[in-house]
Amino acid sequence: MTVLRLNNLSFGYNPRQLIFEDISFAVHPGEVFCIIGPNGCGKTTLIDSILGINQPQQGTIEVGGTDLAQLKPREFAQQIAYVPQSHTKTFPYTVLDIVVMGRTTATRGFGSPDASQRQRARESLEQVGLQGFEERLYTELSGGELQLVLIARALTQDAHIMVLDEPTAHLDFRHELMVMEIITWLVKEKELTIVMATHFLNQAFYLENAAVPTRVALMDQGKIAAIGTPSEVITKSNLKDVFKISSTTGTTDEEGIQRKFIVPLKNIR
Amino acid sequence: MSPSKKTIVTLILIALPILFFFGTICIGRYYVSLTDIFLTLWQGLTGNNSGVSAETTTVILQIRLPRAFQGAMVGAALGASGAAFQSLFRNPLVSSGILGVSAGAGFGAALAIVLFNTVFLTPLFAFGFGILAVILSYFAGKIDNTSTTITLVLGGTIIQSIFSALISLLKYLADTATQLPVITFWLMGSLASTKTADVYLALIPMALGMSGMLILRYRLNVLSMGDREARTLGINVIANKAAVIAFATLATAGAVCVSGIVGWIGLIIPHVGRMLVGNDNKWLVPASMSLGACFVIFCDTLCRSLTGGEIPLGIVTALIGGPFFIYLLKKTKGRSW
Repeated sequence: MTVLRLNNLSFGYNPRQLIFEDISFAVHPGEVFCIIGPNGCGKTTLIDSILGINQPQQGTIEVGGTDLAQLKPREFAQQIAYVPQSHTKTFPYTVLDIVVMGRTTATRGFGSPDASQRQRARESLEQVGLQGFEERLYTELSGGELQLVLIARALTQDAHIMVLDEPTAHLDFRHELMVMEIITWLVKEKELTIVMATHFLNQAFYLENAAVPTRVALMDQGKIAAIGTPSEVITKSNLKDVFKISSTTGTTDEEGIQRKFIVPLKNIR
Repeated sequence: MSPSKKTIVTLILIALPILFFFGTICIGRYYVSLTDIFLTLWQGLTGNNSGVSAETTTVILQIRLPRAFQGAMVGAALGASGAAFQSLFRNPLVSSGILGVSAGAGFGAALAIVLFNTVFLTPLFAFGFGILAVILSYFAGKIDNTSTTITLVLGGTIIQSIFSALISLLKYLADTATQLPVITFWLMGSLASTKTADVYLALIPMALGMSGMLILRYRLNVLSMGDREARTLGINVIANKAAVIAFATLATAGAVCVSGIVGWIGLIIPHVGRMLVGNDNKWLVPASMSLGACFVIFCDTLCRSLTGGEIPLGIVTALIGGPFFIYLLKKTKGRSW
């Protein structure tokens, strides 16, 4: 069973200069699929392809067995919800206005969301821990709160796959943990499938430590260098090859729970 | 907004244009009372003589009522398209003329005046060239089958400056005694040349455009999240953008072709709307229509009653609109942005 499958996918803004090449993987239902790799390795571009924003030069993407290119935006949004890496705030909508946009596909015709859809948005806000934020202006939120609002919006979409592009890029430790706890909850309780790009390798271990089915694809220069469980992929030798760093892994049993982690040590010249 | 505040604001936004509409009919050198208006309308509906003098009936039905109605429509159309374009381009500094519709219409009007020496074809030419300018902007900003916000604005800016240059060229070529003043006054905007037929003809594109924007108004919220997010929220970005541009252009071109170029409304009115109802376009678009209608009626009343002659509408909207905007900005401390 797969919910999302990439078959020999290649893409470049300039066809003679591919950003990634011949990428194939399958995402299984109910797992977190992490895409990691150095800056500029093609993570965000790959995510854009999965979102249907750029058309691959070669290869196909299947969502639930259907070719992505055949899906209308509405059908796409019913299956895949997206949390952007950064969001440009333009107009000071209320938090509820933002979250309820997740119901766009559920509104009939060209109408606006009704009371039940606003209620659904309120529930999402509560689920990410932002009850009472409904009427706040979203332009006045902190970066961490905004990220939670965007996750709530994606959650409101009721899609079974959620794609997150570096969801903790600008967040403090506390908000990073909040996002990871929500992702754990999404997979364990809501039975969602998550695809996320991240720079924080310990997040993959966090999920593994929390017994969340997790796999990692390590990208390097537009290709997949390794794919497997966090412990299989995030290794000293892989990080040495791809990131050109030395590192060490360790475990702690603080609070009686075994937790694995990785610490970067030094640049290798 | 709390539900009770929403009800109050809605009632005000419905009542205000009606109040302004009947108010402006009363005001002028020839005094008309509210009773006269209702008796005349009653007479028009039932055919019974209501005892209102023939002059009063003429002033109401032939002069003030069409003008008030035209003012309301022009204001509503410009206000709504300003709101639509601001959301679409994700920029609060955008106005209804961003894609060159005003410059194109100005050129069309000037061309008609120079070619035919009459104002008869002016509205038609203004309308046609207004639409043409937007189509040119759209294709100028279209790259690889998509149009990003930035390239579209760039396209609009380029087409705008081309048409502005062409307007200058026509002014330069025009007969300085007869044609040049007509062109200049047209470009300043005015509702003075209202003829009943104009009102009804321009009504069609304005009504079509405004209905379209009302139908699509929630989509404006989603489009204002940017192309990438709008797509993943489930809407066809290219089709929705094109539809919004088409409707906003129809409304603006319809307005501009009868009123000439009236600045400020498409920029300032949506901001006043935001201060009242917030940013949700479900409320903002209708609010901008109501406020635009009130603003134009108010300014036009000043235009025709402040002095013995007619002051161009564009001058008054800017002179009233500017200071009023500063006042609002200070009062709300810019929290609406």
